[in-house]
Amino acid sequence: MTSTEPTAPSGTTASSGTTPATESSPATAPGKKKPPPATASTPATKSSLTWARRRSTVARFWASYRTRRAGLLGLAGLALIALLALTAPWTVGADVQSVTQAPGTALEPPSAEFPLGTDQFGRSLLGLLIWGARISLLVGLLAAVLSVAIGTLVGIIAGHYGGWFSTVVMRITDWFLVMPTLVLAIVLATVMSRSMWTVVLAIGVTSWPTTARLVRAQTIAVESRPYIERATALGGGHGHVMGRHVLPNVMPLVLAQTTLGISTAILTEATLAFLGLGDPTVVSWGGMLQDARDAGAVSSGHWWYLAPPGIAIALVALAFTLCGRAVESVLNPKLGVSR
Amino acid sequence: MVMVTKAPPRSASAAHRALRLLLAAGVTAVSLVAVPGTAAAEDDKSAGNTLTVAVSQSIDSLSPFLAQKLTSTSIHRLAYEYLTNYDAKDARTIPGLATAWTPSADKLTWTYTIRENSTWSDGKPATAEDAAWTFNKMMTDPNAATANGSFTANFAQVTAPDAKTLVIRLKKPQATMTALDVPIVPKHVWEKVGDFSKFNNDKQFPIVGNGPFVITDFKVDQYIKLKPNKTFWRGAPKFDELVFKYYKDGDAAVAALQKGEVSFVPNLTPAQAAALGTQKNIKVNDAPGRRFYALATNPGAKAQDGKAFGNGHKALLDPEVRKALFLAVDRTTLVDKVFQGHAVEGEGYIPPRFGSYFWKPETGQKRTYDPAEAAKVLDAAGYRKNADGKRVGKDGRPLDFRILCHATDPNDKAVGKYLQEWWGELGVGLKVECLDSVSDPWVKGDYDLAFDGWSVNPDPDYVLSIHTCGTLPETPKDSGATDNFICDRQFDGLYAQQAVEYDAAKRADLVKRMQSRLYDTGYMNIMAYPNALEAYRTDQIKSITTMPEAGGNLWGQDGYWSWWSAVPAASASEGESSGSSTNIWLILGPAAIVLVAVGVWTARRRRSTADDRE
Amino acid sequence: MTTASTPADVARAEEARATDGAPRTGSSLGYLRHAAGKLGGALVSLFAVLVTSFFLFRIIPGDPVKAMTHGIPTSAEQLATLRRQFGLDLPLWQQFVDYCAKALGGDLGTSFQFRAPVGELIAEKLPATLLLTGVAVVIYSALGLWLGTRSAWRHGGLGDRLNTGIALTLWSVPSFWLGLLLIIVFSVGMGPIPGLFPTGGMESGTGETGFAHVLDVAHHLVLPVVTLVAVGYAQTLLVMRSSLLDEMGGDYLTTARAKGLRDDDVRRRHAVPNALLPTVTMIFINLGHVAAGSILVETVFSWPGLGGLFYQALSVPDLPLVQGLFVVFAGAMILMNLIADLLYPLLDPRVGR
Repeated sequence: MTSTEPTAPSGTTASSGTTPATESSPATAPGKKKPPPATASTPATKSSLTWARRRSTVARFWASYRTRRAGLLGLAGLALIALLALTAPWTVGADVQSVTQAPGTALEPPSAEFPLGTDQFGRSLLGLLIWGARISLLVGLLAAVLSVAIGTLVGIIAGHYGGWFSTVVMRITDWFLVMPTLVLAIVLATVMSRSMWTVVLAIGVTSWPTTARLVRAQTIAVESRPYIERATALGGGHGHVMGRHVLPNVMPLVLAQTTLGISTAILTEATLAFLGLGDPTVVSWGGMLQDARDAGAVSSGHWWYLAPPGIAIALVALAFTLCGRAVESVLNPKLGVSR
Repeated sequence: MVMVTKAPPRSASAAHRALRLLLAAGVTAVSLVAVPGTAAAEDDKSAGNTLTVAVSQSIDSLSPFLAQKLTSTSIHRLAYEYLTNYDAKDARTIPGLATAWTPSADKLTWTYTIRENSTWSDGKPATAEDAAWTFNKMMTDPNAATANGSFTANFAQVTAPDAKTLVIRLKKPQATMTALDVPIVPKHVWEKVGDFSKFNNDKQFPIVGNGPFVITDFKVDQYIKLKPNKTFWRGAPKFDELVFKYYKDGDAAVAALQKGEVSFVPNLTPAQAAALGTQKNIKVNDAPGRRFYALATNPGAKAQDGKAFGNGHKALLDPEVRKALFLAVDRTTLVDKVFQGHAVEGEGYIPPRFGSYFWKPETGQKRTYDPAEAAKVLDAAGYRKNADGKRVGKDGRPLDFRILCHATDPNDKAVGKYLQEWWGELGVGLKVECLDSVSDPWVKGDYDLAFDGWSVNPDPDYVLSIHTCGTLPETPKDSGATDNFICDRQFDGLYAQQAVEYDAAKRADLVKRMQSRLYDTGYMNIMAYPNALEAYRTDQIKSITTMPEAGGNLWGQDGYWSWWSAVPAASASEGESSGSSTNIWLILGPAAIVLVAVGVWTARRRRSTADDRE
Repeated sequence: MTTASTPADVARAEEARATDGAPRTGSSLGYLRHAAGKLGGALVSLFAVLVTSFFLFRIIPGDPVKAMTHGIPTSAEQLATLRRQFGLDLPLWQQFVDYCAKALGGDLGTSFQFRAPVGELIAEKLPATLLLTGVAVVIYSALGLWLGTRSAWRHGGLGDRLNTGIALTLWSVPSFWLGLLLIIVFSVGMGPIPGLFPTGGMESGTGETGFAHVLDVAHHLVLPVVTLVAVGYAQTLLVMRSSLLDEMGGDYLTTARAKGLRDDDVRRRHAVPNALLPTVTMIFINLGHVAAGSILVETVFSWPGLGGLFYQALSVPDLPLVQGLFVVFAGAMILMNLIADLLYPLLDPRVGR
């Protein structure tokens, strides 16, 4: 059920119950990631130094990530799928989704000409599958980015200002957490006109609370470090502290959340499209499943129509999950055992 | 972080017990599902001759005063007699509860003779008194008029001078007096009902009725069961039981038909029909439909007070634009590709099934598919292509249209894709707006184009009336019976003429002229007449009456002919022999799975203990 | 450190760790205060849900009365009657006041399309959903706990990798798709596999009674439950596995081993019970999710539960019914969170009582 239900935050699901930042242990948060002493002593130094430090951080991150086999597997899978999706205009071409120029007849079984058969309009299913990857990935990416962006914004602001403001914001967040997300997304998608953006919005605005909580905790952790106090004393305003100090420190967490979020978002997109809430004129994997069901492919035994989009969805979701888990375990060395 | 020594043994074992409990519950559940094959096998035999029909639409109410959905009204047709019925052959009016009817000279008083051989299923005779009570209730209690109030809105008085005479006096003449599709209910049962808006007639079974079947059981979204009415005056149905069973998913219903779980499935897709057509013991009924499938254009929504509303595209008010759009619609391709040949190419408003009223345009009048001509028409009308290849009107507004589509109708979505491409070539943009419920933008006039379709009755009066000026809403706030806000004086004139024409041939001629006029306006462009695709098991149903008898359909008939006439196949046991082999599998399969699981578990367990010891 | 109540199991797992370091202030008084606080919070949330559901669904465009009568010749008087029956002729604020007053008394209004009390409709469908999701949750929790334990104990090994890999793969599969595949293979039958299970519904309706009826329902349960379990058990497995891994790092285990306890005993007596905490909490939270989460599986298998009802209500739109269902879905989550919150200190061996 998790797969179809964005309510269960994938971050928590796949993160194996441990996350890089915790409210309860502010002082021990990602100490390894960015050595505080260096930052603390020189809050505003030459940019070259900053860049060198960032480079070394990335290098260290990669060195650690490289040792995680599942993560590498996921990354390789993603690279392959991204390559297929990006080169689709040249390999299959936009004409593949044209119904008037469909090359085959309706619902042909797999053949040499159509390796995965054809749909009810005579279009090549392999071509549609590759073309559909573009929309599915794009929607997943945009929705996850939107969700994480909202979550990060809310989390940083709530964590930074604290007090009753924070309490109120977190109450609202908590309240969003108990909302049945899929139900809410279905309602939103029903209300708005059928389009890709509707789906992005429906997923984005319903799935941010987990990120908000995690980011808030991390923000509190970062801000309790001495160098922040110094930065404030030196005249750094709220914007400076949040933008220059807190944000870079929560970025790794945000990255992990986004990676995991994409996998949930892709599944939710498929779910909404399957329920007929997507844009029917755009080819996406979920939409293909809906088309297959509309055509009655299930009871007619046309398994070749039904199977590939589902497998594609599962593979991409899995790849993102593997990457997300690997990123998390890099950031939280305690999880090192789990690789 | 310092780890505090934890886990006092007491609570530890408690938690462990909880785990064991969970596991035990899981195993119990698994073993529960592992056995049921046996039960299913035994119970199949006790069922007798059951006719099972797959349905997907929920029952809104079992009260005939409230029910509006097709499934509900179809079931009421089976459970209650109406005054009149439609002949299975040609749909002319034939006796129902009434054996005869005579209008007065001024057509304001109608006298019905009620049959004497119809009895309620509780043994009491059905009389004119019941009919009078039913109509009077609808006239006096607005809550009882919810479903069928339109029939009685024009009634002045209904009386029953004696048990076999019913007299209805009208305020003004009414065309539907021999087609009063109102279930007549038993007065002695229904006069005890208090609030008609809340009474759903689904608490006490069997439900007292006088139709060919009696409703004996109902479970929301699971099934409705009916038993034959042995004393039905036209003769009792042949099946021992009629069950309407719910399948929310069309594929699940077809799968159930393949397995013999149901006897009949309506509304197949072309792919399903093709797959079922090759199978043994299944007959696919591909009947000419009574529906038309059209492309409606917003003629500029107006109310009767003359106030315009809605936001329809102004360019569509130009007849040349409407003409060009339809010239660029390839109906042959739509029939071939979208309907896979299970439809007839669209011509006039009324489907060819109703031969006497069917009309097709002359060669000169016909808008044959011709994209080049469409481009010429638009050029001539001043909609030229700009640098981006988009056509722009004189007001500088591009020809970008929206089309309302039903999200639940696969055909709308499919045709939308074709229109988008054909019109795209022409330089006309199209946005396909699919909604679960299109009613809201529709009644507000907030659309440019829309997919439209109506089931046509044997008498075309109603489907023609919904395009007359009189059906427009009185003010923009009201709701009218109008379909597409069409208000055309010429059409209205012909409509008024046909309404008072009693000569069948002359009336048919007028109706054809109306269709010709409608065609020329370009407001309703008929793309196809979809067939009714349905299938039934021949090893369960030996014979069944379609309507019309020659090549007609089974589901959604005007009468109760299909289920009343269905004869069970003699060799009903044939299905069970194959069923029993299935049942062996049912027992063996899960048992094998459980065995394997236990085996794996034990093996792993042994290995793990071995590991621990190392 | 006190944290606001959160349904995220992560946060709770962290909370658990936080209590490690905190002095043990737990007492029955403390627990009561904790419980009262959580109860209050839940009530506030519930009220917020009631309010939101009213306004949220008013933004659905569409006049329900016109939508219901679309295509049916309806006179202006009939429309007015319908509006009056549904209370739609009143101003919005008055509708809201009516709604709140009734909702507090447990009356969720009358469905537009079924013309029956919403509470009754929901009560009618609730058992089906509870049965399906209850059985599924029990099975996948048990499966997840068992496999998670194995996986953690032998972490890094082939078995662990296989275990986690399969779970994650199944977790990534869209449930409705899996359901359709199962129907094709095990219900319609494919190749040598005969159609073993019914294609949909909850009972065959051939009039079984007693135990035969139970078996019949169980037979119908198999495929939907398998679908829910397959995509759902990964969550329990992963949480159990990682909590157990955390526990295994604990010094006390070394101590226990040093005391000469066998590994198996150490695992069963010490590590597993402690690791169970976050997992059991998560299972409760899952229980809250499942009602809403089974919408798809219910649709695919024609299961006569709340999910199908919700989807149907939304398309009219049948406002009172949609509102009622939303309240029920959200209410289930609030309730389960509350139970998890209340249970947590009781289960946690580190919080003294």
